[in-house]
Amino acid sequence: MESNPIVLIGALIYFLIIFYIGWTSRKASMDASEFYVAGRKVGPFVNGSALAATYFSPASFLGLPAFIFILGYPFWWALVGIIGGMPIATLLTAAPLRKYAPTSFTDYYADRYETKWMRLWSAIPTIIGGFAYVILSIVGTALFLLCILKFNFTISVILASVIVFTYVYFGGMVATTFSTAFQGIAMTVAAVVAAGYVIGHYGGLNGLTDAVISTSPNFFNMPYVAEKASHPLMATWTGVIGFFFVWHFGFSAMPYTVVRFFTTQDIKSARRSVFWAVLIGGAMYGGLIIIGTGARVLIEQLHPLMATDGVTNAMGLLKHMKTAYGVAGASVTDYSMISAMEALKSPFLLAIIAAGGLAIAMATAAGWTMVLNVVLGRDLIGKVFGSKWPEEKPVACTRVMTIFIIVVCGLLSFKPPALVLDISGAAFVVILCSVGPPLVLGLWWERGTTLAASLTIIVMTICSTSSWMYAKYHLGSYHWFFLSDPANKISTPHQFYWVFIGFIFYILISLITPKNSDEAIQKYVKDLKPEQL
Amino acid sequence: MFKGMPKIFWIGMGIMYGWVFFFMFLEMIIPGLPLKQFLGVPACYIYNWIMGLWIINIFISYLFYSSEEKREEIIKNRKGAK
Repeated sequence: MESNPIVLIGALIYFLIIFYIGWTSRKASMDASEFYVAGRKVGPFVNGSALAATYFSPASFLGLPAFIFILGYPFWWALVGIIGGMPIATLLTAAPLRKYAPTSFTDYYADRYETKWMRLWSAIPTIIGGFAYVILSIVGTALFLLCILKFNFTISVILASVIVFTYVYFGGMVATTFSTAFQGIAMTVAAVVAAGYVIGHYGGLNGLTDAVISTSPNFFNMPYVAEKASHPLMATWTGVIGFFFVWHFGFSAMPYTVVRFFTTQDIKSARRSVFWAVLIGGAMYGGLIIIGTGARVLIEQLHPLMATDGVTNAMGLLKHMKTAYGVAGASVTDYSMISAMEALKSPFLLAIIAAGGLAIAMATAAGWTMVLNVVLGRDLIGKVFGSKWPEEKPVACTRVMTIFIIVVCGLLSFKPPALVLDISGAAFVVILCSVGPPLVLGLWWERGTTLAASLTIIVMTICSTSSWMYAKYHLGSYHWFFLSDPANKISTPHQFYWVFIGFIFYILISLITPKNSDEAIQKYVKDLKPEQL
Repeated sequence: MFKGMPKIFWIGMGIMYGWVFFFMFLEMIIPGLPLKQFLGVPACYIYNWIMGLWIINIFISYLFYSSEEKREEIIKNRKGAK
């Protein structure tokens, strides 16, 4: 397969628009306030679209269709869980955090819990999750570059790292907010158009469903009521409900979305931006469900490489791609979404998908790199360890951090440790179970204490990461309960239960440890609540 | 805990979780529910793809911001009247 000029032109147009936005906003990004929080002047639609583009990473665009391709219909509920979790943020965190108006994600922890060391504790899971996300974004960008240019995967990773670096280095939050808003529209249009192609190809939803069942008879099977499960991980309801909850609370507490609430004009805009993010993101997810559902049948019936010797099914084709383009690690399954689009043999569609895919990958990489820049530079070097460099030269400091982050993540992207959605799931659970409870309950519960916050972050980070890795090496997958008997494994995707345990742990420790000062509780709990009638 | 949280938040949560877990429960007890025809297409496209994924959540996020704006308007008017 060779690169198609129409696909190349589509990608080129996308890059021209992105660099035009970056160029027009370059002056604004030289000021520290503009660089960190876009001067707090972003309106609800722009912020909502940027929120959607940042929150929905290549883990969504590539990973969700790949997981539907592997796990079948029961995984649709995971997508419902992700979108269903978004409105919760409106009143739970968006409004109070915008009222508080910090600069960095860690500001709240340091102020509410009255110690600068909370910056360090909250930074640990944030850095783990952040690096994981920048890696998966570089891998996602590389897979789309592979689709467009048909370069070897290694070259695509190098090119992807250079593109992401250039984009963040010269942009800051202003460029990333406005260009990310454009990217939000681009990725949604791409997913909806692609879904239209798939439905149109099979003559409607009934035709698509019949075609899916013809190649995957168990695709729509649910646990207990069907003789055979769609996949062993979906053989019990703990698997279905577990995947529903892995990403469910992310929009309320993940640093890369929470910081976008800081950039809005006011609380009203912060709340309205969630509405736009749900509208845009929900449309995109509707498209991704159709793409993932049709992926196997599209590849097996229509993909030109199915004629290759030794390729008999969709997995065989993906293994062929792995050999032909040197795609490393597990990420070749992530290429299933692109392969399904290639099968439709429309260069126009592939151009839109490539532009949408690049948009989502670059938006997430930029969002997370900005979070890590601020956490590593301003918060840790400046506020915790007392250096004046981040304060005196904020832009230079964050740019040095950008170099460090992209170089480290670029090197780790050559052999991705897991599927992009698995990297995302791990990052979500470790962050949500550790820094989630001190943020959400810190805002809404006066009794929450510094010791409870510190212990929750440290204990839950250790428990979630170690059980996740133990499950992988002991049972072969991150999705089995880590203490399961190997002969009788229980499906608990990404050890999701730690999120709930984290909240219970924080409450119990808070009840037996000394309260914070009345001043801190007044300022960072009571004053941030909505005004009562 | 959650003192001062607007009532609409709990109503919205009730609608969202009620919808999701009601249909999950139906899938647990009715074999082949996702593929049963409803409005001319397999039912899962209606209760999961269109309603559960999109419409319900758009409605709830609209409900959240609009009710808060109305509540703030009432507070503003009351302050203005004093």
